[in-house]
Amino acid sequence: MTRDVSCVAVADLIEPIAAGELTPDATVAAHLSTCASCRAALERARDLDRLLRERTVPAPPPQFTSRTIQLIQRAGWRREQIVDWVFNSSLIAAGLLLAMGLWIALQHTGLSSFGRDAFDIFTSDMAALAQRVTPSLPLYAGATGLIVVALGLWWWASSDAAL
Amino acid sequence: MEPARERELVDRCRREEPGAFEELVDQFKHLVFALIARTVADRSRTEDLAQDVFLRIHRGLPYFRGEARLSTWIYRIVINVCSQERSEAQTRGAARQVSLDDPDSHLPAPSTVDRRFSDFELRDRLEKAIQQLPAQYRILIAGHYLQGLQYEDLAEAMQLPLGTVKTQLHRAKRQLRELLEGHLK
Repeated sequence: MTRDVSCVAVADLIEPIAAGELTPDATVAAHLSTCASCRAALERARDLDRLLRERTVPAPPPQFTSRTIQLIQRAGWRREQIVDWVFNSSLIAAGLLLAMGLWIALQHTGLSSFGRDAFDIFTSDMAALAQRVTPSLPLYAGATGLIVVALGLWWWASSDAAL
Repeated sequence: MEPARERELVDRCRREEPGAFEELVDQFKHLVFALIARTVADRSRTEDLAQDVFLRIHRGLPYFRGEARLSTWIYRIVINVCSQERSEAQTRGAARQVSLDDPDSHLPAPSTVDRRFSDFELRDRLEKAIQQLPAQYRILIAGHYLQGLQYEDLAEAMQLPLGTVKTQLHRAKRQLRELLEGHLK
């Protein structure tokens, strides 16, 4: 095995050896003891490993948790607002569509003129009914009053008995 | 955190028990913050991105099936947020190319000073060198050297075989060593 081949083979082992994950076998150890270049590479890899372990660990600011919880709450409210807005808009749109559909259907089927006639009959009948009922209204009101008083007395008596 | 405690915490968060999610944030904020700060180029974005991670966790908890550990799932979200930040930064054109010999760094050229740089200068160069690594290598370096992140956790979070994670990590360190050639001992 030539020196070059050995250096190439050892180069792949430098990082695992430096990290302590691999123990060099006799051949690799012999190469490392004789090859200054690979030995220096291993030293640099160990130095790098040390630097990486000693890297500062950035800490979150003290208010991080409370700020994050507030952010999540705000996001939740926003989502609810959006859902509400979509629901209300859909409801309005559905109502409008239904009204428009009915109007178009009435126009196309000629039911609108029938509807007008039905409305006229209904209003005239209602007026006649009101004329007939009006004279008896005080009587109905008195009877209703008597029933309400009787029911009230019964309720009061039953609740008093329960006490 | 023990897997059983993780599951219990997830259940409490799902039931929207008061203070449960706050406990989750407290439990993982140091790891999430450190992982992001060590991965993204623009450190001023760290807090926003860490909050984004917890917002995604909150939204995703009802759908978290518990097949992976909670911590692994959180690492995966951190990886996604960091990758997204990188691509967005590139789109914005804000991703400044960092060079080890950046004139802004005010560092003297290696030829003009002693080859033994002070630790401070060396750490500064190390941070710049890390920013030159591919995104995947950066997150591996950040995660591996943080307490509590094992090879297995990284492999699961990145959905890579364990061997691939180890190989990529060694390649990343080799690339770093080459970038810092002349500055290390």
